[in-house]
Amino acid sequence: MAENKEKLLEMYTTMVRIRTFEQKAIDLFAAGKFPGFVHSYLGEEAIAAGVCSNLRKDDYICSTHRGHGHLIAKGGNLQLMMAELFGKATGYCKGKGGSMHIADVDLGILGANGIVGAGMPIATGAAFACKYRKSDSVAIAFFGDGASDRATFHESLNLASIWKLPVVFICENNGWAISNAQTSHQNITDISDRATAYGIPGVSVDGNDVVAIAEAADAAIERARKGDGPTLVECKTWRHRGHFEGDPAIYKDPKDQEEWLADNKDAIARMEKKLVGLKYAGQDYLDKIKAEVREEVEAAVQFAEQSPDPEPAEVLTDVYTA
Amino acid sequence: MVSLGIIANPASGKDIRRLVAHSITFNNQEKVNIVQRAILGMEKVGIKKIMYMPDYYGIVPRALDGLPNSYHLHVQLVEANMEMTGTQEDSTQAAEIMNQSGAGCIFTLGGDGTNRMVAKGCGEVPLLPISTGTNNVFPQMLEGTTAGIAAGIVARGLIKKDAAVKKMKKIEVLKDGQLVDMALVDAVVLKDVFIGSRAIWDEERIQQVVVTRGDPISIGISAIAGNLQLVEINDKYGMAINIGPGKTTVMVPIAPGLIKQIPIKDYQLINPGEEIKVAQGPCVIALDGEREIEVGENDNYSLKISLNGPRVIDTRLALREAVAKGLFISEQLIKTS
Amino acid sequence: MAQMTYMEAIRDGMRVEMKRDPGVYIAGEDVAQFGGCFGVTAGLYDEFGPERVMNTPISEAVIVGHAVGAAAAGLRPIAEIMFVDFMGCCMDELGNQAAKMKYMFGGKAKVPMVVRTPCGAGMGAAAQHSQSLESWFTHIPGIKTIMPSTPADAKGLMIAAIRDDNPVVYIEHKQLLGLAGEVPEGEYVVPLGKADIKREGADVTIVAWSWMLQKSLAAAEQLAKEGINAEILDPRTLVPLDKEAILKSVAKTGRLVIVHEEVKTSGYGGEIAAIVTEEGFDYLDAPIKRVTAPDTPIPFSPVLEQAYIPNEEKIIKAVKQLF
Repeated sequence: MAENKEKLLEMYTTMVRIRTFEQKAIDLFAAGKFPGFVHSYLGEEAIAAGVCSNLRKDDYICSTHRGHGHLIAKGGNLQLMMAELFGKATGYCKGKGGSMHIADVDLGILGANGIVGAGMPIATGAAFACKYRKSDSVAIAFFGDGASDRATFHESLNLASIWKLPVVFICENNGWAISNAQTSHQNITDISDRATAYGIPGVSVDGNDVVAIAEAADAAIERARKGDGPTLVECKTWRHRGHFEGDPAIYKDPKDQEEWLADNKDAIARMEKKLVGLKYAGQDYLDKIKAEVREEVEAAVQFAEQSPDPEPAEVLTDVYTA
Repeated sequence: MVSLGIIANPASGKDIRRLVAHSITFNNQEKVNIVQRAILGMEKVGIKKIMYMPDYYGIVPRALDGLPNSYHLHVQLVEANMEMTGTQEDSTQAAEIMNQSGAGCIFTLGGDGTNRMVAKGCGEVPLLPISTGTNNVFPQMLEGTTAGIAAGIVARGLIKKDAAVKKMKKIEVLKDGQLVDMALVDAVVLKDVFIGSRAIWDEERIQQVVVTRGDPISIGISAIAGNLQLVEINDKYGMAINIGPGKTTVMVPIAPGLIKQIPIKDYQLINPGEEIKVAQGPCVIALDGEREIEVGENDNYSLKISLNGPRVIDTRLALREAVAKGLFISEQLIKTS
Repeated sequence: MAQMTYMEAIRDGMRVEMKRDPGVYIAGEDVAQFGGCFGVTAGLYDEFGPERVMNTPISEAVIVGHAVGAAAAGLRPIAEIMFVDFMGCCMDELGNQAAKMKYMFGGKAKVPMVVRTPCGAGMGAAAQHSQSLESWFTHIPGIKTIMPSTPADAKGLMIAAIRDDNPVVYIEHKQLLGLAGEVPEGEYVVPLGKADIKREGADVTIVAWSWMLQKSLAAAEQLAKEGINAEILDPRTLVPLDKEAILKSVAKTGRLVIVHEEVKTSGYGGEIAAIVTEEGFDYLDAPIKRVTAPDTPIPFSPVLEQAYIPNEEKIIKAVKQLF
């Protein structure tokens, strides 16, 4: 991968796209442009970008309540996403899902999810379908440190292990389960330790190093494709924002917050420095990428704002498949 | 005065060689258990004060917490007074503090990578390295209790140090002639541009190898040397190898369960001080199994063997020497001597 | 027509669909060589092999949860939950995931899965292995809920459930497993949402399902001897509900008794009574009566359990109160 300049730039662009989208979403939410909850992915961009850089269109992902980043990295359309945040008829879910339920089944995105830890059994099932059909597609379950305490984590890892399913469990350990620091909600620090209990490999990587994540994910996904079974990959990172927008995160130590947001720790700043240092891209080129992404996001906002609301009668449709 | 130090690395044994090779995950509870047994061993041979490195998992506090409530421990445990960074630098800093505090031994839990960081700060304090890492050439697979006993005996000076402590070699990493880093076992130049996930497993990226030792019983990169020609710990030389098609090929277990045929362009034994120039960048230098240094296009790096590495306790010899001196005949004797 | 038991009929329905559609598979606790806790899947492992009939760990959340993922990815899983009482262990997967996926995603997902689970009292299995909990599921839009009362319906509804593109909870009654009857051979489909008049009558409509349907039939025979001709209507599927059939029958008889094994409060009978009151009040010549289990957990002692379960005597008494 190291020599693969294109892939590195693609991952960088994905991270920038996620960050720009998220920052915009935060601003729009604060300005009262749409209701509900926004759980920002700021700070965790490298994980979605690194993992999804190894995926194909026919691979599945199950995302979380903090899901915008995963959807973007798997190829989600920004306009349809933004329109969904606005609850518009043109949104991914015709305005019926909102931030926490965006999905694009054609892209293998089996949805963000409003229930912490609910994506793991679903990804396990999607992986089962891949194996059942004898394809070499895989499924990824994204989840957080908080979700690793849920029964669904344990049941899914166990079933995936005994059935040797092509699923990779990506734990985004951002240090916080809502307002609970990791030290207060589990008596371990490396969630990868839990893999041994299910007889599968578990590894921990720097969740702010997109190359480290991409390497680990690549190895885990290759294992899955070859029929060698599931893997748990813990990515240690930091949630820049509160649990949801509006949460002032008073439980965080300002010193920790400052350290994690500094350029030497931030995934995008690190990658930028590296790309320039290696002469893979000039700063002007990276600035151009940023400007293009900004335009893309602005266009998405414009699309969302100009889109019609759903018809009230739509409330009754889509409950059952005829 | 502090009589002994403990540095247990909670991050060892978790990198992606679990996926690309067949390493085990060394969970932290197991490290807690080893430390607990070691402390009980140290206590029994009269160690009074132990300093330990603080870590994000709290390995030593958990070891103490796990003792029965009724157990009255006759040893004082103090945390090294340091700012924790949560990085590998913590191990170096802790070793420096223990060295300054007069520790007679530093007991380490980790792999080659952990011990490299400890060696940077420990000075002449002998190490007793227990293996809980991935590539474990430097540390040994030992039982915690008896290792703790051996560490305590050496730390208290109950046996002659010469009898059981050996000076190790090391590799010095120079940038523009200035010492910038070191390795205990191997330094590897890789066709790579990122440190990334740190681990090495793709043999096709390996360009150059310098080792302090080479033994066919080892796992990892140093086994390339070992499977060409034995280089013992006591030999006053190391080996430099250029990888690539040419002279021969050699079968090597470059990571746990990962056995590869490595092409050898050429190799030579190298004397201390002899400088091996690192290939032109961009490339990456891995030290003791982990990618550490990103070498830029115009950087000028070189590697050389030094005889001035850390001192390490040979646990087997230490315990035998203790037996020869009759130290285990009476508990009272060993506690008070 | 073949003569088979309710249990054989369920199995035959699964077998027919597994032969027809390679995407159909069975997963659940002890469903493989063991044949399921009650023997419903017996023989299917031998017939279809370990890739299509699979034991799972005792992990209800991932049994149902994986089925959601597999269904969304194009398969047609049949997940078995050993007792309906255990559904509490997988309610999120059923109620928040399977049921809502299509709607939340703006119609762009399909979750064709069946959760098979046995219900019902009568075997001394006490409070946690005997319940009837259909209202847990009927209360959640997005799920279909089926409760067959005869061997023929058991097969026909099973095939329909598997072919349906929605999550279906298929609840089979433990007391009916051994009930024998005529069952059509081959691909026999009973459409979902279509009630069945199991006994025609003119004096009173009794709406009942599952085991209570059989009890109601027995009660009707007694009532007939006393000159009351009851019509027994089996909705067969609670969601979708064939309310036209119910209203039509009530229009004919003017009287309605609803019988179910669920507890009374918030039981599905209340829903049916409300529908008839809202849409068929003018048809009624008497108040609607419900015959249900009391609002208690299910006791263990056979004496207590019999006092708990609605029976012919209670049904007859309720009907007579309307005349």
